[in-house]
Amino acid sequence: MPTQNLVETHNLTKQYGKIRCVNAVNMQVVSGAIYGFLGPNGAGKSTTLKMILGLARPTEGSITLFDTPVNEKNRMKLLAQTGSLIESPSYYGHLTGEENLRIFQTLKGCSEKDINEVLKIVRLSDARKKPVNHYSLGMKQRLGLAAALLGFPKLLILDEPTNGLDPAGIQEMRELICSLPKTFGMTVLVSSHLLSEIDQMADHVGIIRKGELVYQNTLESLHSHSKEQIALRVSHTALALDLLRQEGIEATQEGGYLLLPMVDDAYVANLCRLLVAQNISLYRIEKREKSLEDIFLSLTGKESSL
Amino acid sequence: MITLRMEFQKIKRKKIGLTMFVLICVQFAWLLWSGSHPDEKERLQGWIETLYSLPLVNVIMMPTIMSVLASRLADIEHKGNTYKLLNTLRRPGALYHAKVICGLFFILALSAAQFIFVIALGYARGYVGHPEWKHYATSFALNLACCLSLYLLQLLLSMLFFNQMIPLVAGLGGSMLGLILMYIKMYSFLPWGGFLSAAQVAMDWNPKTRVIHFYYREYSPVELCAVAAIFVWIVVFYAAGRILFTRKEV
Repeated sequence: MPTQNLVETHNLTKQYGKIRCVNAVNMQVVSGAIYGFLGPNGAGKSTTLKMILGLARPTEGSITLFDTPVNEKNRMKLLAQTGSLIESPSYYGHLTGEENLRIFQTLKGCSEKDINEVLKIVRLSDARKKPVNHYSLGMKQRLGLAAALLGFPKLLILDEPTNGLDPAGIQEMRELICSLPKTFGMTVLVSSHLLSEIDQMADHVGIIRKGELVYQNTLESLHSHSKEQIALRVSHTALALDLLRQEGIEATQEGGYLLLPMVDDAYVANLCRLLVAQNISLYRIEKREKSLEDIFLSLTGKESSL
Repeated sequence: MITLRMEFQKIKRKKIGLTMFVLICVQFAWLLWSGSHPDEKERLQGWIETLYSLPLVNVIMMPTIMSVLASRLADIEHKGNTYKLLNTLRRPGALYHAKVICGLFFILALSAAQFIFVIALGYARGYVGHPEWKHYATSFALNLACCLSLYLLQLLLSMLFFNQMIPLVAGLGGSMLGLILMYIKMYSFLPWGGFLSAAQVAMDWNPKTRVIHFYYREYSPVELCAVAAIFVWIVVFYAAGRILFTRKEV
């Protein structure tokens, strides 16, 4: 099991004027993982990623990449082992896809062979001689990913890589990202404001809200928060609640329903008998599950856009 | 060196050389039109007069030409959102240097073309004698310095602003200002007036006899300071551009 953290941030903070866009973020990206960095629009995802890449200077805090604290002297050396696609792809529209990659490959100092390989991976081999201005948005996005893959870096930082793609393109990008750790041994740090996207791609997740990292763990652990409950709708809610509590059941009242922890069928039957014996009519018995979306909303706040 | 080589790769098919050629041809057309049929007296002063008229043409046209050059070189980065990728591959300082040197290459080519043209034109028009190489070489060097100071200013503006209309308007404004400065004094401490300060030749015009006499300038201390100002501007614009570019967050 890989345990080394490829990226670590320590109290990473970015302040513009009086506004703290990123506030004391302690992020840990485990080697070999696909780390989904999730948060509503404007939560501070891009700013955090830009600070990791040295495109924005932190107001406070520090960053460790590949177990080495990043400073001005070693920044370029450490970034040589990373690939990135931040917000929108970078390209020279008047040049062909291949010419674009040649420039980035030369600047990155990696092998020329990588150009053919990354073009194949992102399925742009046929469009290599076409000026990028003639590419569709999806093709430009794939070219951006190809540029990030040059040199097959240890760490790939992708900021909203599916932005502007059609459903087929999103699916394709998602599959490609999911394959990177296994195929090339890469660690991927990918941000998104879409929970479903991260749910399908990542194995680790960090949730940021108003600049603060409110959750960080494996996706599995996040899923475990999605507990099942029994909801009862009865004629005398308050009376029924008292009765259930006297029976030692941790029931709560919410929206005209009584919410009980998940119990087996026999226990539910017993409870029903108990309530009916007290002349409390039972209208509905429902099984409820707190979805991942509910957890995300409870962490990021319902007022935030998804 | 790699960064510089890539700078030339980036501008492939951007036809920057052709743009510069067209702009310099406008200047050539102007020089061809002025004094197209020189009389004997004019042929006698031809070589020295060339060194008088060239800075005047440059003071009007070069700010615009430099703004176009800087804008063409910087705009490719803005249009493709490339800084956020380039800054992870190379230090911003190295990227800035590459832009400066790439621009300097075009300036060198422009200035060389200009001097070759005026010398060829002089011989074609049958100017008496030969150019005074010492003054022509000094003029060439100072012309280069003036162009560089304007280019660095324009590069700074073009890299700072996404909208290239701002630096282009600044360049056109510089040309207008140069035209005004030309009527005030034969030197200026402003970067756009550098060509006037750098001019090797001055003119003496007698209103009674209407005779024009060109002569090599003897610089006063103030005029020498104005020449030095050209180099001060180079240092100031270079440092400002480098600091702003390297500190700019993308």
